Amino acid sequence: MRRRTIAALVLTLSCFLALGAAGCGGDDGGGDTSGAAATGTGGTDTGEATKGGTFKTQTDAFVWTGNFDPTGEYLGTFLGLYTNMLGRTLMGYKHLPDAEGNELVPDLATAEPDISDDGLTYTFTLKDGVNFGPPVSRAVTSKDVEYAFRRIATPALVAQYGFYYLGVIKGLQAYSDAGGLAKDPNGEKPIEGIQTPDDQTITFTLEKPTGDFLYRIAMPAAGPIPQEVAKCFTKAGEYGRFLVSSGPYMIEGSDKVDITSCDTMKAMSGFNPNSKLILVRNPDYDQSTDDTRENNIDGWEQTLNTNAQDIFDKTKAGQLDLAFASEPPEVVREYTQDENLQDLYKINSGDRTWYITLNLTQPPFDDIHVRKAANLIMDKEGLRRAWGGEPKGEIANHIVPDAMFGGDLESYAPYDTEGDAGDEAAAMEEMKQSKYDTNQDGLCDAPECKNVLHVTRNTDVWKNMEPTIESSLKKIGIEVTSREFEDSYTVIQTVKRQVPISSTPGWGKDYADASTFMVLFDSRSILPEGNVNYSLVGLTPDQATKIGAEGTVDGIPSVDEDIDACNEIIDDAERNGCWEDLDKNLMENVVPWVPYLYGNADFVISENVSKYVFDQNSGEPAWSRVALSSGK
Amino acid sequence: MGRYVVRRLLWTVLVVLIVTLLTFIIFYVMPPGNPAVRFAGKQPTPELIAEVEHNLGLDRSLPEQYGLFVKRLFLGDGDECPVGISGCGWPGLGVSYDSRTAVREEMINRTPRTLALIVGAATIWLIMGVSIGVVSALKRRTIWDRLAMGFALFGISAPVFWLGLVALYIFSKTLQIEALGTGYVEFSSNPWGWFTHLLLPWFVLALLYAAFYARMTRGNLIDVMGEDYIRTARAKGLSERTVVLKHGLRASLTPIVTIFGLDIALLVGGAVITETVFNIQGLGNYTVQAAQGADLPAVTGVVVIAAFAVAFMNLLVDVAYAYLDPRVRYS
Repeated sequence: MRRRTIAALVLTLSCFLALGAAGCGGDDGGGDTSGAAATGTGGTDTGEATKGGTFKTQTDAFVWTGNFDPTGEYLGTFLGLYTNMLGRTLMGYKHLPDAEGNELVPDLATAEPDISDDGLTYTFTLKDGVNFGPPVSRAVTSKDVEYAFRRIATPALVAQYGFYYLGVIKGLQAYSDAGGLAKDPNGEKPIEGIQTPDDQTITFTLEKPTGDFLYRIAMPAAGPIPQEVAKCFTKAGEYGRFLVSSGPYMIEGSDKVDITSCDTMKAMSGFNPNSKLILVRNPDYDQSTDDTRENNIDGWEQTLNTNAQDIFDKTKAGQLDLAFASEPPEVVREYTQDENLQDLYKINSGDRTWYITLNLTQPPFDDIHVRKAANLIMDKEGLRRAWGGEPKGEIANHIVPDAMFGGDLESYAPYDTEGDAGDEAAAMEEMKQSKYDTNQDGLCDAPECKNVLHVTRNTDVWKNMEPTIESSLKKIGIEVTSREFEDSYTVIQTVKRQVPISSTPGWGKDYADASTFMVLFDSRSILPEGNVNYSLVGLTPDQATKIGAEGTVDGIPSVDEDIDACNEIIDDAERNGCWEDLDKNLMENVVPWVPYLYGNADFVISENVSKYVFDQNSGEPAWSRVALSSGK
Repeated sequence: MGRYVVRRLLWTVLVVLIVTLLTFIIFYVMPPGNPAVRFAGKQPTPELIAEVEHNLGLDRSLPEQYGLFVKRLFLGDGDECPVGISGCGWPGLGVSYDSRTAVREEMINRTPRTLALIVGAATIWLIMGVSIGVVSALKRRTIWDRLAMGFALFGISAPVFWLGLVALYIFSKTLQIEALGTGYVEFSSNPWGWFTHLLLPWFVLALLYAAFYARMTRGNLIDVMGEDYIRTARAKGLSERTVVLKHGLRASLTPIVTIFGLDIALLVGGAVITETVFNIQGLGNYTVQAAQGADLPAVTGVVVIAAFAVAFMNLLVDVAYAYLDPRVRYS
């Protein structure tokens, strides 16, 4: 995440509350040394991968969801650090930009798993020579992977995305219901769907075919965790300061931790969740086991700097190697307009969508024609200007970012308008079909069209968008009253608030499967608090009563069956096609959003960086491939 | 004197207790959202929220939570730190929801930074403000008076964040004097670096207060210098220096001492902007982070300590009063 000063903390927190892993992790990125990555002014670097140096960054806000415990972290910052530097998962990524960076490759496993014909059983063989670093310093075994799943199934450890595994792997939900490790501290009770016949083999048996299971296996929570250390930490957020690395780097001070007993352990000196993270090389790592990481730098450090402008100044002066903060508009301007700086501004697709959510239960948005008209009238280009213009992303025309569909839906724009500025005539034509246009003149004229609450954030980008949203909707007779909240995510995530429209949300992928977007429309994920299905797609009257949703709760379309059907498809291409159809279905027959921006991930780097690569999976710089000029 | 101080100390404890209650109500009872939701992941099911509430102790009744809060404060929280984490003890301020560190330790680490900022700035603003005020009062309607009051107007009008950014732009970015850059250098590791890195924040923070103190000193001193006893002192043949410094200034300082004590106390939890601009990760910065992250133990910890500082400084001010103004007696 990249942030500004005080205001940025709000943005950061809000982002953390609602964006997915990569989405929140970074709003920025850059080009691969090899070329094709950069989508904006950043261009690409061609420097050589010099070994050595400590990569220095500063951030204006440290934000963790689980204090660095892989079980409890889901932000992109952690995803990038863990997958590049600290952890080996059975399946991993190449740490490259674009589609190639989203492709799965074996990492801890020797090869892709053997998958049974019914798609229910996955058998992995672990590589020899992959070791945990200090203080454990031993080979990683299948039992360590199994232990990670025991932790996921332990309620007290509050796995942040446990739903990817519970109810999916046979017996894991039952183990969780029985208390997980809290009732089985030695991790001895069998889990039906996880078998470890020897140290090198692990087999997962699923409840039903799950097409994106390999992506799930590549998430940090599924990485190996040594029981001898982790068993000491029985509550959420406590293991992170003792995280034992299985990757090329480790937290500084790992070798000083005395694991004789739980009482003798003291937190690693290189990590303070509030102020610093220092990574150094892991002496037990064997490069020959790894062909996806270059590991050019000797170390990596990030410290807190509450003055974001100062971070950019220091980066420009070469005192830092990369700015880990949201670029203020003047910085974007400077780096896009100054030819000498353009190569230092790295822009890549962030695989995230920013959108205006429309509540299907609240008038006038309980009428599909109003929702379609809202899509047709919205000045998306105006909204993008509020973000800082073209460098901040592509105009969004549907739910899932084009990049995640490999460009298949690039030309799909059901509500396309000239210059993306909105089409008044088309919108009014649509509005005429609405029950809220009582005289069919193309304007929403029922009382429900006045004083419609629009919830937004109280930070610059969102405040800047307000006039555009208000004036766009006014053209079709909808008069919104914008209210800015510091905790706007909390407001819209609380169903009882009955928020009709909000420009607050954005969503980024957890991994490169559209399923991580479609969860936003799954009625089974609707919750009274912390709800992310803001539009309440699929809500039933019974559910509404239970969670306090009011308004039009009858006849809300559901896509649950479509989601299930897509999820069960094992073949990647076929599953992708299924998600594409669902995306279209949502945009044309449900219309829960006005998507307006596929957000970019942009970073400012210094001239010290001789090689810069963007990691598409995490939406962060590919720390395992970056390099510094010699002598740094 | 002794009884007076003891009585005031007991009042201080009572005030802190009342503040803890108000703080608890404001941060734990009044907010509509449930802080546990923030820590319950991407799909915070009621079961997960309940688990987080249990982890954070939010599943207990409010009176029970408050009782525990006060108990920790007075008896310490030595046994509550997570495995491998140090810093719990007395006064117990609990464990941060967010970072799972001991709030007490975090505050112990950050307090010297805030105090260094405040003490340095206070010294500057007191010397600068009072001196300018005296000169201005004694040279009324001269160019010196105009200049001094012009300075005061500027100081009061210029926002601290703007002054800070301008100072950094000039000294750090343009002149590239690294020693005057942002960040905090530990005194124990590099005393000179500690001093140079605090110079800009000291002056930026001091300027606002110095301007205010200059105006106040000027006004007070002009009033006092018109008093009968000043005329008597002059009639006795005392030197003008003695009349001004011993009789005039001393009497005019009484209200300044009051304000000075309170200003220092308030800054303990409130030098947020200066700390943010200059990246001094002190208590103010911690408060902002905690408030925005719904980290209730951290917020309440800072508020309680700041409240204690205000109450304690009030006590010091009252004692100083009696020294400066013999008419004031302990009673």
